[in-house]
Amino acid sequence: MSEDIIDKIISNVLQGRRDKDDEGIDEGYEDQPGVTELVNEALEQGVDVEKILAEGLSRGMELVGEKYETGEYFIPDMLAAAEAVGAAMEIMEPHLLKKGSKESKGKVIIATVEKDIHDIGKNLVSIMLKGAGFAVIDLGINVPASRIAEEVEKENAGLVGLSALLDTTMPFMAKTIEELENRNLRDKVKVIIGGAPTSDQFAREIGADAFGADAFAAVNLAEKLMVRGGK
Amino acid sequence: MIHGEQGGRFKPLTEKDINSIHEMTVRIMEEVGVKIPNKQALEIFEQKGAHVDHNTQIVKIPRAMLEETVNSAPSRVVLCGRKEEHDLTLEGSRTYSGTGGTVLNCLDLETGRRRPTTLEDVKNFALITDALDNVSFFVINVYPTELQLQEVDVNRFFHAFSNTSKHVMGGTYTLEGLRRVIKMSETLAGSPAKLRERPFVSFITCVMSPLLLDNKYTDFLIEVARQGLPLATPAEPLAGATSPCTLAGTIATNNIETLTGVILAQLVNPGTPTLYGSVATNMDMKSGSYLAGSIESGLINAGLAQMAQYYGIPFYATAGMSDSKLPDCQAGYEKAATSMIASLAGANYIHDAAGILEFCTTASYEQMVIDNDILGICLRAVRGIEVNEDTLAEEVLRRVGPGGNFLSEEHTIKHFRSEFFYTKVADRQSRKLWEKDGSLDAAERARKIARELLQNHRAEPLPQEAQEKVRADFQEIK
Repeated sequence: MSEDIIDKIISNVLQGRRDKDDEGIDEGYEDQPGVTELVNEALEQGVDVEKILAEGLSRGMELVGEKYETGEYFIPDMLAAAEAVGAAMEIMEPHLLKKGSKESKGKVIIATVEKDIHDIGKNLVSIMLKGAGFAVIDLGINVPASRIAEEVEKENAGLVGLSALLDTTMPFMAKTIEELENRNLRDKVKVIIGGAPTSDQFAREIGADAFGADAFAAVNLAEKLMVRGGK
Repeated sequence: MIHGEQGGRFKPLTEKDINSIHEMTVRIMEEVGVKIPNKQALEIFEQKGAHVDHNTQIVKIPRAMLEETVNSAPSRVVLCGRKEEHDLTLEGSRTYSGTGGTVLNCLDLETGRRRPTTLEDVKNFALITDALDNVSFFVINVYPTELQLQEVDVNRFFHAFSNTSKHVMGGTYTLEGLRRVIKMSETLAGSPAKLRERPFVSFITCVMSPLLLDNKYTDFLIEVARQGLPLATPAEPLAGATSPCTLAGTIATNNIETLTGVILAQLVNPGTPTLYGSVATNMDMKSGSYLAGSIESGLINAGLAQMAQYYGIPFYATAGMSDSKLPDCQAGYEKAATSMIASLAGANYIHDAAGILEFCTTASYEQMVIDNDILGICLRAVRGIEVNEDTLAEEVLRRVGPGGNFLSEEHTIKHFRSEFFYTKVADRQSRKLWEKDGSLDAAERARKIARELLQNHRAEPLPQEAQEKVRADFQEIK
C-alpha cells in the first residue's frame, strides 16, 4: 500500500505536478492528485515521514536530475518538479520536527550581490535547493555585503550562495567574502558562487569554496559541502 | 503517418510565370518533341496517338495527351513504411526530406578518409536513417562496390529493408535485378496484392537532358509502371550545359522532360502512382563541373514545386546537397539554404537532403546527423507561427506582469517542447562546459552521435518467416 503511494509521488514529481490542477508533461494525469495531495494522503495513511522524504520526494528529484543530464528534461521541467517538492516540504516540516528528524538538510542564504539586479539564475538555484530539501532564505537582488553577513549570523546559516551576471558586479562577491571574514563568520559558513561571468578560477581567487555552472551543480555542491561534510 | 509540414509559402513563380512555362511546355512537346531511343516506348506513344518518327526516334506529344495523362496521374501518392507510422502522404504542399544518391564513396566514420562504399554501408546508412527523426525516407544512397553487378540490386534493397522500417526507394542497375527486387518485395509483403496495397518500396527511373530519354531507364520505367508500383521520373538538366542557362529556361526544360516520363507511365498503366521529378542544377562556369550545393538548384526546385502543384502531381525534388569535401561550414550553409527554400516551397519528397557531399559523390555518417538537424530547422520554419488565444498568452502576460518571468509558468511547460526546435548537434552550452566536453566542433560532435546511433539503434526486424523464404529464394543475398 505504502509502495503504491510512494510510486505515485515519484511519478508526480517527475511530471512536475504540485496539485491536481497541474497538467503535467504526459497525458493521463487530469484530475489525479498531485504531489502535495499525495503527501497529505501518505501522512494520513501513516506512512513514515522519512520514507516519504527519502524514497518519494528525494528519489523523484534524483530522477528529474538524471533526465535533465541526459537532455530529456529542460529547465521548466526541473523547476516545476522542484516547486512541487518545495510545496510538499512545507507540509512535511511539522511532521519531521515532531519526529525529531532534521527538518532540512541545512540552512542556505542566497542573494544576487550588490548593484546587480539579475535574478532568474538565482531563483532557479533557490527553487532547486528547496526541492532538494534545503531551507532556503532568499534575500533577493542588489543585496549589500553587510546585509548578507548579518543574515548569515542571525540565521546561523551553513551555506551562502552568491549570484552575479555582470563583470562589473563580480567584485561584490569578493567584498561579501571579506565582510564574512571581518565578522569572523567565514570559518562557520561555506560560500558558493555562480553566474555567467564567474568560474572555478574566480572562485579560487576570491576565496569562495566552489563555483557552480548551473542549478544542478549548485545542488550537488550544497550536498557535498553541507551533507557529506565537504567530501 | 509521418506528419510532415504544409509548405507552399515560398513562391518564386507568379501565376503568370507558371502559365508561361506550361504553354512553352506544350509548344515544345507538340513542335520539337522528345527523343526516346526505346522501341517499346515509341510503339506505346504511337499507339496512343502521339506523332512518332521511328527514324529520328522523336515523339511529339499533343496537348490533349498531356492533359489527359496529367489528369490520370494520382495527385496523392502514399509511400508506405514497413511500419504505418512511417507512411508518407505525398500531396499538395506537404513536405518530407530524406536521403539520396547513389554514390560510390563515403567518409569512413573512424578514419575520416574517403573510401569505396560496401554493402556494410548500405546497412549502416539505412540504420542511421531509421534512427534520425527528420530523415523521413531512405533512398538507397550508396553502391556496394565489392559486389558483382548482377548481385547489386537485390542486395541493396534487401539490406535496406532489413535496417529501416521507413520507406525505401532506389534505382536499379539491370532489368532482371529490378524484377527480382519487385518479387522479393512481394514475398516480404506477403503477396503481390499486399505490396500494391502498402507499397513500402518505390523506384527511380531517370530521364536525360535535353529532351531525351535513356533506353535502359525507359525499359525500367515501363516495367515499374506495368507492375503498378510507385515510380519517380526525375529529369536532370544542368543549366548552361544541358538546358538553357536561365533558371526559367531550365525549369521549362525539366518540366517537359519529367512530364514525358509521367506521360509514358500513365500511358502504360493509367492511374499508376508517379512522381514528377527533378535533379536539376547548374554547371560551374569555372570548372565545367556539376554543382550540387548551388542556391540556383534550390530556386529551380522551388519553382518546380509550384509547377508540380499546378499539375497536381507529387514532386520528387532535390535539395540539401553540398560541393564541400567534408562536413564543414560550406556544407552547412549550402545544405541549409537549398533545403530551406525547397521545403518552404512545399516540395513533397526532397531527396539527397541527408548525408551527401562533394557533387553527390560521397556519403558521410556525421553529415547525416548534421543534416537531420538542418532538416528539423527547415521543418520548424515551414510550420511557421501559430497565432490563437492560447499562443498569444494574454492571460499569462497579465498575470506575470511587469518585471516577472515566465520560466515556471504552466503555459511555458505546455508549449516549450513544441514551440522551440531542439537540435542534436548544435552546441548551446557555455564556453566552460563546451571546453569541459573537449572543445569539439560540430562535425566531431556529430561523429560521436553517429557512432552511438549505429551502435545502439536497432530497426524493426523483417518478419522471420518472410525473411527465411526470401533468403531461400534469392541465393545472391549476402
